[in-house]
Amino acid sequence: MSSEAPRATVKLFFREAIARALTEAMRDDERVMVLGQDVGRFGGSYKEFVGLIDAFGPERVRDTPVAEAAMIGLGVGAAAAGMRPLVSITYMDFLMLGLDPLVNYAAKVRYKTGGQLTAPVVVKTTAGAKGQGVAHSQCIEAWLMGVPGLVVVAPSTPADAYGLLKSALRAQGPVVFVDHKRLFPTAGEVPVDEGSVPIGRAVVRRRGTDVTIATHSYMTRVADEAASRLAAEGVSCEIVDLRTLAPLDVATVCESVAATGALVTLEEGQTACGVGAEISFRVREALPDVRVARIGALPAPVSSNPILESACLPDAERIAETVRRLLVS
Amino acid sequence: MIYKLLVPGPDEEIEEMRVLEWHGGVGHAFRPGELIVELETHKAVVEVRSAQPGVLRNVLCEAGSWQKVGALLAVLSDDPLELLPESAETMEAWHVAFEVT
Repeated sequence: MSSEAPRATVKLFFREAIARALTEAMRDDERVMVLGQDVGRFGGSYKEFVGLIDAFGPERVRDTPVAEAAMIGLGVGAAAAGMRPLVSITYMDFLMLGLDPLVNYAAKVRYKTGGQLTAPVVVKTTAGAKGQGVAHSQCIEAWLMGVPGLVVVAPSTPADAYGLLKSALRAQGPVVFVDHKRLFPTAGEVPVDEGSVPIGRAVVRRRGTDVTIATHSYMTRVADEAASRLAAEGVSCEIVDLRTLAPLDVATVCESVAATGALVTLEEGQTACGVGAEISFRVREALPDVRVARIGALPAPVSSNPILESACLPDAERIAETVRRLLVS
Repeated sequence: MIYKLLVPGPDEEIEEMRVLEWHGGVGHAFRPGELIVELETHKAVVEVRSAQPGVLRNVLCEAGSWQKVGALLAVLSDDPLELLPESAETMEAWHVAFEVT
């Protein structure tokens, strides 16, 4: 994919990639700080903040009460006052409580003040279903894509978690960094040299010729499993990992779809007004004749019953079946 | 008898673990209950302790390396001079797992 010489890498758990990005950012910029529940001595719900309080002290790594509106409000206000806070919202479901300061203030303050104020806050939150029921499983990143002024990133690998968090902590305005419960057990190669991944650029994870699957976050791994099954049947899937949802890299998706002629969008959240609805419309604007299908959760809450949970969510077989049907249509 | 020391599992969500530290070099005779190796998952350190006596003969995954759940970490034997199999593939296929807790 790249003509550059291969870079030296080290294998890290997903949580370690996040901790590394924060460690470097806090070392480089004393305005960077962390606010959240259990981010201090406990080290974060997924151990992604381990070591930060020892390295940077309790002034810069602050435990907060269970009060998401106040946490994001504090972070946004601190950002407008010159800090660069990362606010950790453990479950994305509870990001809803902090949407007012995020959407009504952080995303608009630069516009409203004619550039005199900015709110460079990062809200890091964990989406996805993993046996925790209706109010601890949701993927609501699509809700955020229509807010002017808000950047939304959703990495699927430790390398992108590291690189996108580095970019987010240097960004001019608010960034929502969405990770996923099922990504935390994963590990992957991360460049040894310090660096970052640019916001707003998708990447082709798997090359293929028959259909493009555009997806993000944990579903990138499920898409790969489906692509391996389909490869055994002679169907070749190209997987585009969006990485950033706002702004969307429509050009990379279109480039792939122009070659394959068919697009399947895949997300763990709802399809109605979802990531796939936006992508498929914009791809069709550029390429009106391509075949399109979209996959997401069934229109039901995600149950804590594991059988109902897995029935609700996209899996490799549902993806494979959708691709098969699209390609004979 | 020759034994294979495996990464404990299966675990539904863990694919692989990082080897943190070996608590005895090649030739060390482990007693039941003794800590052999510490492994790291995404959220915990796993202590692998012997549940039987055995001599550590060959370490296939040094500290800092990674191994899949259920895969071979090291070779142990009852007799310190017992002839070892030629390859890891032979080990995987033919030998019994070293009992751990």
